[in-house]
Amino acid sequence: MKFKVLFILALFICMLFLAGCGGNNAVSTNGEDDISNSDNNAVGNDSEESNNENNNGTTGENMAAEQTLLIAADQDPSGLDPHKVTAHSSIRITGKVYEGLLQFDDDMELAPQLAESWEQVDDTTYIFKLREGVKFHNGREMTAEDVKYSFDRIKDPETASIGASYFTSVEDIEILGDYEIQFHLSDAYAPFLSYIAHSSAAIVPQEVVEEHGDLNQEAVGTGPFVFEEMVPDTHVILSKNEDYYIEGQPKLDGLKYLTMIDESSRIAAVRTGQIHLTTVSPESVSLLEANVELEIINYYTLDYNYLGINTEREPFNDERVRQAISLAVDRNELINTVMGGDAQLTGPVPPSLGNWSIDVSQHEMYEHNIEKAKELLEEAGFGDGFEAEIGVPGTYRDRVADGQMIQQMLAQIGIDVTIVQLEWGDYIDAWNEGRYDMLTGRNGAGTDPDRSLNFFFHTEGSANVWGFSDEEFDELAEKGRFEVDQGTREQTYFDAQDRLLTQAPNLFLYNPQNYIVISKNVSDYMPLPHSSERFHDTYLSE
Amino acid sequence: MKEITDRLRKDKIGMAGLIGVLFIILLAFLAPVIAPYNPTEMFNQHRLERPSTQFWLGTDEFGRDILSRIIYGAQVSIMVGLIAVGIGATFGFIFGLLAGFFKGWVDNTIMRIMDVLFAFPDLLLALAIVAVLGPNLRNTMIAIGIVTIPVFTRLVRASVIAVKEMDFVLSAESIGIKTPRIILRHITPYILAPFLVQITLALSIAILAEAALSFLGLGIQPPHPSWGSMLSDARGYMELAPWIAIFPALFIILTIFCFNLLGDSLRDLLDPKLKS
Amino acid sequence: MYTYILRRLFLFIPVLFGVTVFVFLVMNIIPGDIASIILGTEATPELKEQLRQEFGLNLPLYQQYWNWISGVFVGDFGNSLRTGAPILPEMLNRFSLTFELTIFAAIISWMIAIPMGILAAVKRNTKGDIGIRFVSLLGVSIPNFALATLLILILSLFFNYYPPVGYVGFLEDPRRNLEILLIPAIVLGTSMAGSLMRMTRSSILEILGQDFIRTAQAKGISQKMVLFKHALRNAIIPVLTIIGMQIGYLLGGTIIVEQIFSLPGLGQMVLTGINQRDFPVVQGTILFIATIFVTVNLIVDILYSYLDPRISYD
Repeated sequence: MKFKVLFILALFICMLFLAGCGGNNAVSTNGEDDISNSDNNAVGNDSEESNNENNNGTTGENMAAEQTLLIAADQDPSGLDPHKVTAHSSIRITGKVYEGLLQFDDDMELAPQLAESWEQVDDTTYIFKLREGVKFHNGREMTAEDVKYSFDRIKDPETASIGASYFTSVEDIEILGDYEIQFHLSDAYAPFLSYIAHSSAAIVPQEVVEEHGDLNQEAVGTGPFVFEEMVPDTHVILSKNEDYYIEGQPKLDGLKYLTMIDESSRIAAVRTGQIHLTTVSPESVSLLEANVELEIINYYTLDYNYLGINTEREPFNDERVRQAISLAVDRNELINTVMGGDAQLTGPVPPSLGNWSIDVSQHEMYEHNIEKAKELLEEAGFGDGFEAEIGVPGTYRDRVADGQMIQQMLAQIGIDVTIVQLEWGDYIDAWNEGRYDMLTGRNGAGTDPDRSLNFFFHTEGSANVWGFSDEEFDELAEKGRFEVDQGTREQTYFDAQDRLLTQAPNLFLYNPQNYIVISKNVSDYMPLPHSSERFHDTYLSE
Repeated sequence: MKEITDRLRKDKIGMAGLIGVLFIILLAFLAPVIAPYNPTEMFNQHRLERPSTQFWLGTDEFGRDILSRIIYGAQVSIMVGLIAVGIGATFGFIFGLLAGFFKGWVDNTIMRIMDVLFAFPDLLLALAIVAVLGPNLRNTMIAIGIVTIPVFTRLVRASVIAVKEMDFVLSAESIGIKTPRIILRHITPYILAPFLVQITLALSIAILAEAALSFLGLGIQPPHPSWGSMLSDARGYMELAPWIAIFPALFIILTIFCFNLLGDSLRDLLDPKLKS
Repeated sequence: MYTYILRRLFLFIPVLFGVTVFVFLVMNIIPGDIASIILGTEATPELKEQLRQEFGLNLPLYQQYWNWISGVFVGDFGNSLRTGAPILPEMLNRFSLTFELTIFAAIISWMIAIPMGILAAVKRNTKGDIGIRFVSLLGVSIPNFALATLLILILSLFFNYYPPVGYVGFLEDPRRNLEILLIPAIVLGTSMAGSLMRMTRSSILEILGQDFIRTAQAKGISQKMVLFKHALRNAIIPVLTIIGMQIGYLLGGTIIVEQIFSLPGLGQMVLTGINQRDFPVVQGTILFIATIFVTVNLIVDILYSYLDPRISYD
């Protein structure tokens, strides 16, 4: 019954499409067809063909004729090499073009992608069975050779890939067959699989790397969308991968990411229907909520805002001083003022990561107790308070605001804080060098608690710029890293988090939400905390 | 000089400009006395409130009193203007004088350096200097000051050269009076008009430049208010809470307007060609 | 005249050389480096070292400068460190936008400022004069970013309008291109109109006060005749100075509107270059802008001597 209706509907739309000269104008606003026609002929032609296919096919719901999703991105991508890029603006592009062996599903569980299945043979050996018949966008089939090449490239120091450190324990990669590959690790490295699912563990074709020297300007992967062109500060165009291995996906003919840095412009563009999708800041949400043409989707990210403390400096090397600061900072007040009330309390592992995070709301360090804070300062010998500097990155409103709020809060316990606003490049240097007593910032906690804990706070952790070194914490964090039993691993990480909150090298302020505004005709779109978006099933309805 | 003040008194537009400028300077000086609240104090229960009897001009996103921030902001904005232009005018005067006096390689060196500075678009130069020195109030003033040096230098140099060619200077020289003394004495009336006009112009540019740097994230240190940084912070709230943006904008406009009116009048008054 | 132009062209060399050295020094003194910025929290000492090596940042300074400048001599501005894209074609592309925007904005400002300036001069010290001065100053006194945001808000809320998204060049689609640039040009144009209006007003006033005009008036020639035949032609020189400066100013002053209206112009390129410490980009673009700036100034000076025979360059 349902099928019949759908079929008739599809037929109807198809007729409309054929009858109405190209049918583009009927649906889209005048801006849109201009874009796909004038900017890129490849997309334009593709879309007409595939419209036919779509409308004849079984997927035909009430799809609009024009199926190019227009997205306003708040930042221009910086390079496209999936093994090297760290900027979100780049990853959201490479994430559509490239794929890895595994991925995270909606519930942050591991799921197959290019690997059909995987098996852990023993503590240190993993075997992946690859999907057969997957083609790169240049038409060549992807095999185990490519997987080996990609991981060799990541591990090669010449590449300077950020993934190199994720796979240091990978000792040997052995090709067992065209569609079977085995990874041998030097130790029982528990986060291995979640790094396999990381966006930087993308499978790339060797011949493309060799032809272009690097992958910064070119992108050829196996993903649902094919890279067409990138014009700096203007747009990135992706078109549908017609040979995608999942039948009927993607439904869109293409994606166009328009770089629009200014938020007031993005809001105006989405309001006037010139774009379909964009991100906005929390303070703008209330302006758009009432708009019937638009829908706001929000979700908790894997990030958290923090106040980092240089634990090597006087008097911050005294844990009581840090605890006093933690007790003096009212995180709920920060959430209310800076995030418009729409963020959640967090520890080093944000709640959005699932089971790994502990409930911090009852933690003694979160109780906002000025008296206790003063007592602790007194004990530490700073009853009269002291002066301190907080560095804040001027580019980011929220982090500047965090700094201003914390300045007021710390004044209550006699700490006289000066805010030093830093230009972004300078801020990164200051972060690396530990130049200030405290810094406000935001961390991506990653998809595995190993990253949230070891990477940022282990004595040897490469992002531990706080000079924090605590034996008890180090032991717990290391234990978790090499603990294969899931339950024990969880408990170990709980203990590690608790220890970290008590030691307070950083104050974890809140886990913010992302707000995505989409126009009502965007259907079946789902943002994901770790990769920001999935457009496999998305389509534009009429 | 008395003649000038007399004439200014008769010029209503100029007087209006002068009064406006004095009003803002007064605001800046009396800030601690007249501001109803501490400009950095956050009233958590009163975020983004409309203007009311309690907060005359409303509150911002942190619940800070906008009126108090504007009054204190006058200090910062006026200081940025005066000090930056002071730097520009002083160095510009010295360099211009030297270049005009000595001609030859001194002139050449100074003017080529000025050409280099001049070849940069203003905002870019200020941006680069602030990025090098680090964003804070002092460096903002230095950067804007440096940006205004070349204009003053050119102005003074041209006047010095013109004065040097004047008949009375040439004749004084011929009877053995040293030129530098004559020029220093005679250049003042000649240069005063364009110099003052340039100063009022530069003051407006400085205030706007501070706002532009704030917009680019290189402004003065929070939480201290300047009109420019208040306005650029308010951008995200223009629709939700327009008063946060309107009042600092009004004060910027008012100040620049008064500086310009004053400058125009001074120009008219001091330029002998315009006596009518 | 030709020797004058030649001499001026010759002077370009030290000035532009000075610009490149200045920019090079600035980029080296600015705290922060591109390797750390690219890597962010992922930075390990090895990765950073690898990137710096790749970018040639470990070479001695004079050698870095030499590598860059010797490339420029043969027309090779190098590649962006951030994206790996060659700089020169990118720069020329963006220049066409910035140049178009500049001209567009300048025309808007002339259309506002020159008639208003004349009117204000003629009606000196009347209410009309004050009104005109107030309105034209309004444009100058509002920071560009505030005016731009306000316009975007008003247009989208009350007229459901926002300029078309996605920049296209004039040659590709002239109508769309002009529509995209219209609002940004208005923002820039109004901000320039004030000073031009002032200059027009005072030059006309000055000329009107001069003897030959008075004579003309005394001879009974109508006010309009006097204004258009004598005053305007003589007032054009100081106005031209402002226009020359204006174009130079606009070329660099477009940074903010380019960012707000998402226009891929030169200004954005410089800004991103500075923010990311992408030094070949910053050096290339600033050298380019400076060259245009000094050229515009030279053209203005040459125009002077054509318009005013009293000015001679020898």
